[in-house]
Amino acid sequence: MTFPRPTRILLYVVLILFVFAFVIPFWADITTSLKTNMDVIVTVPVVPPLDGILRIFGLVSPSPTLEPWMIAFQIMGRPLLNSLEFTIFATILSCLIGSINGYVLSKIRFRGSNMIFLFFSIAIFIPYQTVLIPLVLTMSRLGLFNTLAALILAHTTYGIPICTLLFRNFYKDIPESLTMAAKTDGAGTWRIYQSILLPLSALPFVVAGVFQFTSIWNDYLFGLVLAQGIDAQPASVALANLKGTSTASWNVLMAGAIWYALPLVIVYLVLGKYLIKGYMAGAVKG
Amino acid sequence: MLPSIALVGYFVYASIGYNVLVSFTDWNQLRPSYNIVGFTHYAEMARDSVFSVSFLNNLLLILLFVPSSIGLGLILALLLDSKVRGEGVFRTIYLLPFSLSFAITGSLWAWMYDPTSGVINTLLRSAGLGFLATGWVTDSNMALYCVVLALVWQFSGYTMLLFLAGIRSIPESQVMAAEVDGASRFRLYGRIIIPQLKSSTLATFVILMVFALKAFDFIYILTGGGPGYSTFVLPLDMYRETFGMDQYAYGAAIATILFIVVMVIVVPYLYMSSRRREV
Repeated sequence: MTFPRPTRILLYVVLILFVFAFVIPFWADITTSLKTNMDVIVTVPVVPPLDGILRIFGLVSPSPTLEPWMIAFQIMGRPLLNSLEFTIFATILSCLIGSINGYVLSKIRFRGSNMIFLFFSIAIFIPYQTVLIPLVLTMSRLGLFNTLAALILAHTTYGIPICTLLFRNFYKDIPESLTMAAKTDGAGTWRIYQSILLPLSALPFVVAGVFQFTSIWNDYLFGLVLAQGIDAQPASVALANLKGTSTASWNVLMAGAIWYALPLVIVYLVLGKYLIKGYMAGAVKG
Repeated sequence: MLPSIALVGYFVYASIGYNVLVSFTDWNQLRPSYNIVGFTHYAEMARDSVFSVSFLNNLLLILLFVPSSIGLGLILALLLDSKVRGEGVFRTIYLLPFSLSFAITGSLWAWMYDPTSGVINTLLRSAGLGFLATGWVTDSNMALYCVVLALVWQFSGYTMLLFLAGIRSIPESQVMAAEVDGASRFRLYGRIIIPQLKSSTLATFVILMVFALKAFDFIYILTGGGPGYSTFVLPLDMYRETFGMDQYAYGAAIATILFIVVMVIVVPYLYMSSRRREV
């Protein structure tokens, strides 16, 4: 719908005001991460540390430093690698399994398939608090406590239901005639999946993949209860611990937040439209 | 598919069952103990002041957070639907907070709210509004509102997205017809667009409710439930009882209550939306 001109200008003003409100925390994060400990305390956070440049305009501002970034990386480096490792493994595994499940539930008719679909659908919505105690107990019985394997297993398992739903909804719209034709040509179940469905699956793999990568990368709760030790500690837990221990050095915390956000922001900017598709389809996951 | 059914069956369904079982036992130390004590722990909740504070906070969180996020998201969606140039850029910016981990947004807002040198107070002081500077999350009367504000910031981009999809699914012809008939802009929104967003609103409502019920990460990182118990909610209470105080059975009982409440909201919704799809 189009507005008359003066209203349109007002519309943009409002939209840009909202942009400011949304961006201020990020802006203050970046400016703070580039300041020295001293400047963090004595300067206003939103003033950028651009000494040489702002002086031209007669403004006083602190000089920039990269030291907080380096300190933060020393603390966050290992957890970031941990996060990268279990996120990638669990994303790939849950997508592959979801794809096979989606195929079976959409293209093969068998008794109870609706029940199995319901079985996966309800599992999407459960509050994780309800499975926390059994999860911790199982992982320590399996000897997986504080290992990346525990996080891969947990994230894969709890990712299967939503991936199954995503792939099933996509495969449902692939015409029956395609698979039927292959069947009359004598192709087996597995063969149909491999040669017909899988080659058509680039889109759902990207959507489910980006969605899973985002939610596993962002997870805090599982990391907190399963992997506090340094060997498997996720970046989210490391960052939260950083906040808990060093109230004095805000610059390091802000730099740590940037390191942790960086991979995801890149994914978001490059593949954002697929992530949006995932958000729409998997609305209630969390 | 069978192995995945086994995995989900074990880690979801059997685990829920086991959790319910634990809630009826006397397991109150590190080592598991399975003597059945019936509904003792559920009765305990009625007397436990931390539980009732958490429960009320949780309720208040829902009452404030859900309508605010829906309202702001709807406003953003309606604004962006007015053939805005650079819509994609605005959408990307508004949705960014939702895509980030609570560990990040929790840290960002801790810095925003920091009373001594944090973003909000220093901005207020340099604008000559120093008298408005307060303790924010360190003030037990304000902490929960601060949590709500930050969560609305993080979630309204997402509700915007859901509403935008809802608006876009309204047939163009209806909007055109109304415009030809000379309907004013407000009438158009009030009579044509907003009434057709019922199902988007319901979906958004359910999603936000469920989130607010199990909100843990953000509050745990930003305030840890404090000061005092002013931002304690049920998931935090469950975590503290279980992993902080080894009261496994009591923690399991709180988790069971949470599970029941979430299912009471989700199951009818799932049922309704699956019926709608079949019709």
